[in-house]
Amino acid sequence: MINELLIILLAPLIAGVIAWALDIRGLREGIGIIGAAVPLAMLAKLYSTVLSEPVEYSITVNGFTLQFQLNTMSWYFAVIASLVGLAMALGMAVTSRNSYDWLFALMSYTGVLGVFLSQDFVSFFLLWELMTFASFMMVLRRNRHESLKYFVLSVIGAYAMLIAIGMLYAKTGALDFASIRQALYMDAAMGTITTREMAVIFGLFLTAFGVKAGAFPLHVWAPGAYSETDQSYTAFFSGALSKAGAYGFLLLYILMGYKLYTAFGTFHNHLVFAYIIAWIGALTVVVASFLAVLQEDIRKLFAYSSVGQVGYILLAFGLGSTLGFAGGLFHVLSHAVFKGLFWLVTAAIILQTGKTQFKDMGGLAEKMPFTFAMGLIAVLSLSGIPPMAGFASKWLIYEAAISAHMPLVAGAIFLGSGLAFAYVVRFLYSVWFGQRPSDLEDVKEAPLPLLIAMAILAIPNLLFGVAPGLVTEYINKMLGGEVVGGDYYKLVTPTGTYNALLVTIVLMIGLAIAGLIYLYGAKVRKISVTNTYQSGNPVTEEFNLSIRKNFYMPLAEALDFWLKRSFDRFYERLAGMAEDFADSLRQAFYNGNVQSYSWYLVIVLLILALWGVL
Amino acid sequence: MIDWKLVLEVIGMLIYATFMGFIFMGIERKAMARIQRRVGPPIYQPIIDTLKLLGKKESVTHGFIYDFGPIFALGASIAALLFIPIANFQLFSANADLIVVAYLLEVPMLGIMLGAMSSGNPYSAVGVQRGLLTMVAMQLPYGLALIALIQHWGTFKLSEIVALQQTQGWSVLVPALLLALIVFDIVFQAMLGLEPFDIITAPAEISMGPMVEYGGKHAALLFTQHAVQLFAETAFFAVLFLGGASNLLELLVKQIAVLFIAIFVASIYPRFTIDQAAKFFWKWPTILGIIAVLLTV
Repeated sequence: MINELLIILLAPLIAGVIAWALDIRGLREGIGIIGAAVPLAMLAKLYSTVLSEPVEYSITVNGFTLQFQLNTMSWYFAVIASLVGLAMALGMAVTSRNSYDWLFALMSYTGVLGVFLSQDFVSFFLLWELMTFASFMMVLRRNRHESLKYFVLSVIGAYAMLIAIGMLYAKTGALDFASIRQALYMDAAMGTITTREMAVIFGLFLTAFGVKAGAFPLHVWAPGAYSETDQSYTAFFSGALSKAGAYGFLLLYILMGYKLYTAFGTFHNHLVFAYIIAWIGALTVVVASFLAVLQEDIRKLFAYSSVGQVGYILLAFGLGSTLGFAGGLFHVLSHAVFKGLFWLVTAAIILQTGKTQFKDMGGLAEKMPFTFAMGLIAVLSLSGIPPMAGFASKWLIYEAAISAHMPLVAGAIFLGSGLAFAYVVRFLYSVWFGQRPSDLEDVKEAPLPLLIAMAILAIPNLLFGVAPGLVTEYINKMLGGEVVGGDYYKLVTPTGTYNALLVTIVLMIGLAIAGLIYLYGAKVRKISVTNTYQSGNPVTEEFNLSIRKNFYMPLAEALDFWLKRSFDRFYERLAGMAEDFADSLRQAFYNGNVQSYSWYLVIVLLILALWGVL
Repeated sequence: MIDWKLVLEVIGMLIYATFMGFIFMGIERKAMARIQRRVGPPIYQPIIDTLKLLGKKESVTHGFIYDFGPIFALGASIAALLFIPIANFQLFSANADLIVVAYLLEVPMLGIMLGAMSSGNPYSAVGVQRGLLTMVAMQLPYGLALIALIQHWGTFKLSEIVALQQTQGWSVLVPALLLALIVFDIVFQAMLGLEPFDIITAPAEISMGPMVEYGGKHAALLFTQHAVQLFAETAFFAVLFLGGASNLLELLVKQIAVLFIAIFVASIYPRFTIDQAAKFFWKWPTILGIIAVLLTV
């Protein structure tokens, strides 16, 4: 019998290849969706098995043993990835027009699942590379420059990881996670690996996972890569693929947490290495959220917002307390569902209007009511309005950050959530409300498959918002203990409580009372947007009443000093310098002059003579 | 099984809070008038205003979200109120802690913004922009003040914070928390929408900002929302820093004390521009907040 894990892993890839090879319109979409749905179905089937014991599979190829394991943690990550993956496939059925996209989108799906299921560094690295390559190919088709930026940074990350794996292999002689973990645990007592070597390994892994997660200052690829691809694919790219980076940080704790602790020690009762991760997360949250507020393009705004939200996850993992892990893991889920939803809404907007800039849009809420409702759910969830999944996970991170006595890191979350309010409102205002430009008069509602995809991601936002206990109960099992107490509707931590159901009910009561006052009042008459107060002057359609450009100009002015410094420009300059250097090398040495080539020969001979070889 | 006592308490509290909120608004106007040597309106004036607005024969609307905005704002204010322990009435406060209440107190702002944006009026848009930037600016010192408080008392539960203050003395008496109180009070001015941070509505500058399009029953809803919000925020202040209260009268004294400080500050300071406000919030209150937070670690 074929192992279930093999089906989960290979179903998307095989479906992608078939879809690409057949390339018959209608058929390729069907195959793609089925291929994307298979892992979710299999994972659902394996749920109860996983809770009792891990499902394993291993295969030997070219002398390497590839091991895969579906344990409680990898199940959690895999199920999130496959949920977003299914939504992506449904969305791509309408937004994608060629088989090329299907091949690489589903290939990266396999890569992500493989990263989560791997139990040794050989398969982990192989599938990590598959994931990177496939996502690079998705971006390459649209924009060469952005895709190369993404690729070069990913390659730097991947080879940093390869060096780190090499060092670990040299020190421990093992490639599978279980043995490495064991060896490093033993080594913490013996101390054969020095602190300096550990620092190098840690730094290399930070680079590797930081690139994928989009951690500051390695986030520069994200805005370009997230926007220059099929937006349905971006739902997966930012919703699930960026989680591979977050998963990597978890892996650091699992494999070498104790060794890192003994190597670096503590600082004011915080683990030093965790403290570094927490601050990277906090900086990512603040920087990316500020940049998101100032964007003029709908895709760029969500790209930066995505980077910022992954920052929350890193920050939570960096707290180093079990409550922090619970918050971070919950945020992995809620970020995947609300950001996936956001990208699908963006895909629908771009599909129906063909525009991406805020200045070209407005007043779409009447034309695309269902998409607007879905967008509103995503907005409420992202900005953390109580009965939503986004609030429950953020609440856990707040509790964890303050309880861990990291006040400044917790301050960064407060600032980040204020900024999140600001940028989602920008999105709401510019796209959905106000005056509608005349060329958007015949915009229609998004097609059905896309709407189904949105609904798939909207339901978890509501469900896990009202019943966050469903998730924390599973997280408790994953972390092996009662980290977050309470029942299905109520979260209880050692210091606080949040009863999501009661908050929902009370909010509903409040809305009912307010609604009664509204109903008691006089009748309403609907008037058009242009029938409005304009300092008492008449307004006609020709006036542009909506502020669509530079909405947050005062903020940009207040931040003038900081905005002059950009890591993006820094890297571009660095790349330019490397290119110039390569050019000058070529011109200096390959100069076409026969005499200089003979001089090179003389110089080499001279060196050999001085060495005493000749 | 319905807890009838709780139901009665909730209904009573809602009526009391709304009424007192309107009276607070009246006090605000009266005190401002006295400061400027005017007689001012009677203290129950805001109630009359609201009733008048409710009695308008016709309201205009710009669509569903335009109606939903004020309703959502009032609903969220009511929800926030019910999770704060008010004097000897605990209501639902055991079920949600400080972070939830702090968030719920911000949600009404989003409701108002949502409704204002859907009107499509440029003044509303400018008001929304200013409102959100004020919120972004004040969020950091506000968060730091709350963190200092939580770190000192070691709990997120509002009722426990009150209980601890009753045995160990008010928060204000702790030096680090006095700094937090100063920070919180500065932010409080912006939360209430009073000068020098009344940048959101800014009468005479952007003709009431977000509220410019609202009239009739929508405006009545927003007035009611403001009353409930005023009551909830002053009670929140008293709970956090002034040791809560054992009965409504004691709470009322504390609420009015807090309110008067806000009024005195508001009546002598002109308005900041939005970028000045941002720079201000990120300078002194933030520095004080960081000191407070580091003292309580």
